Amino acid sequence: MRAEPASGGLYHRVVVYLLFLILLLPLAGTLLYSLATSWSESLLPSGLTFKWYVALWSEPRFLAAFGQSLLVCVGALMLSVVLILPLLFVVHYHFPRLDALMNILILLPFAVPPVVSSVGLLHLYGSGPMAMVGTPWILIGCYFTIALPFMYRAITNNLQAINLRDLMDAAQLLGASTWQAAFLVVLPNLRKGLMVALLLSFSFLFGEFVFANLLVGTRYETLQVYLNNMRNSSGHFNSALVISYFAFVLALTWVANRLNKDKP
Amino acid sequence: MSFVSVRKLQKRYGASQIFHDIDCEIERGEFVTLLGPSGCGKSTLLRCIAGLTSVDSGHILLDGQDLVPLSPQKRGIGMVFQSYALFPNMTVRQNVAFGLRMQKVKAELRQTQVEEALRMVELHDFAERYPHQLSGGQCQRVALARSLVTRPRLLLLDEPLSALDARIRKHLREQIREIQRALGLTTIFVTHDQEEALTMSDRIFLMNQGRIVQSGDAETLYTAPVDLFAAGFIGNYNLLDPDSASRLLQRPVAGRLAIRPEAITLRLDGELDGQVLSHSLLGNVIRYRVTIRDVELIVDVLNRSPSDLHPAGQRVSLAIDTLALREVA
Repeated sequence: MRAEPASGGLYHRVVVYLLFLILLLPLAGTLLYSLATSWSESLLPSGLTFKWYVALWSEPRFLAAFGQSLLVCVGALMLSVVLILPLLFVVHYHFPRLDALMNILILLPFAVPPVVSSVGLLHLYGSGPMAMVGTPWILIGCYFTIALPFMYRAITNNLQAINLRDLMDAAQLLGASTWQAAFLVVLPNLRKGLMVALLLSFSFLFGEFVFANLLVGTRYETLQVYLNNMRNSSGHFNSALVISYFAFVLALTWVANRLNKDKP
Repeated sequence: MSFVSVRKLQKRYGASQIFHDIDCEIERGEFVTLLGPSGCGKSTLLRCIAGLTSVDSGHILLDGQDLVPLSPQKRGIGMVFQSYALFPNMTVRQNVAFGLRMQKVKAELRQTQVEEALRMVELHDFAERYPHQLSGGQCQRVALARSLVTRPRLLLLDEPLSALDARIRKHLREQIREIQRALGLTTIFVTHDQEEALTMSDRIFLMNQGRIVQSGDAETLYTAPVDLFAAGFIGNYNLLDPDSASRLLQRPVAGRLAIRPEAITLRLDGELDGQVLSHSLLGNVIRYRVTIRDVELIVDVLNRSPSDLHPAGQRVSLAIDTLALREVA
């Protein structure tokens, strides 16, 4: 935290810590509940145990859902990297005017509510030559559109900061082909924006429920759908699930931030 | 035949003609400057020579070889950009080595050539730094080393000093010129700064609105501007219409007249028919605004002693060196 004058500093710190406390309260409650043997009639849980976690992490259905969520998210993100990076490069290097059009296009996934667009998707991909409803493929495709705005914006900001044209020109005059220039000079400098975009999209997609539930449901159960289906089972068990999920995303974010640190 | 020869080069973007029938010849080892206001087409011309921008028609011959059909990679031309364009993900050493890497030069040879290039720009102690850890002047020297290490046939400098502060700019200017002389490297330098152009160049091409208006060495350009634009762009010429000129010289003058401000002397004897309007101290030079016979003139006087400083309102007489008068079209 930055050094502040003592008088205003205290007030600001109190506000910030209070806000943190309020935000952390439900999480702390969930954590405690997931560790409690039972907690119904007393103010504090009657005992602490890891049995809910042990039960969760030895439950094959949970592990399958976890893996499937991971697979769908990673698949969607890989697809977006493969498609969006070249797209961005072409837009910014060759057709800068298309940027305005792209900015409108990438808003579309936000403009249409997920419930509405999933009805459309069910209709379109429910039958016929492109019948994909109920398979992970439709989720990968659908998640791609959700990731698009995050990826596009973050990488665009990064691209605008690096003076793409001069870097490409310089590399080419030094003898690099367009491909070499793109891979050796431009791509390494997009690492930051790309990591931010991937992280943001991943945490968002990992927690996505509406599309997963409506388009695929139990036929290819993702983590959030599994959580929903388990809503009538033990609350301790579900709390352990939520905390595990949260810890996973937190750990991932931390690792990604460490990897993304500036070189000395 | 000259080393570089540009013939009837044309370039337009849509309806706007960037330049038109550009012809110029540059000798081997020459340092030439394209000088002109922004938007005159000088940078586009440079980019066309580098191959970064396509031309509509015409030829660019380098050592007898037509460059127009060649890709930028195959032209053997080095270029330094105003924005430095260093690769932020690479150290100084890696930046300089990039061109050699692309040419698949052996690692040991690469090492010595990079070392040599860095020594030339006095940055060998900074080899392991990243560009964001360097000052602007250092960045531009790295960029220079990077473009020199591949031994280009022609070096292009696109306003390389414009982003730097005045002191660094002067120093780097001399360093560039020294290196260029030492290597005997044919160089084209683009700038809008007349001082840079006049001090550095063997020859200057003055450009305006897509045409080369005048070419010649610094002395010719400074003392003998061919037209109104050249006289207005270089130096601080007093430009007089025929009426004022006739009144000033008390003889009929047919055309427009250009008088250099340092070719006029202020005196305190004789017929005191002039009056100082104001003065500003430029350091070694005092610049007066003087009115005489209803004509306003700028007069530069060397700041030799405090007695050279005349207050506003002072009556003076003017002596004009007739050799310095130039009629311009």
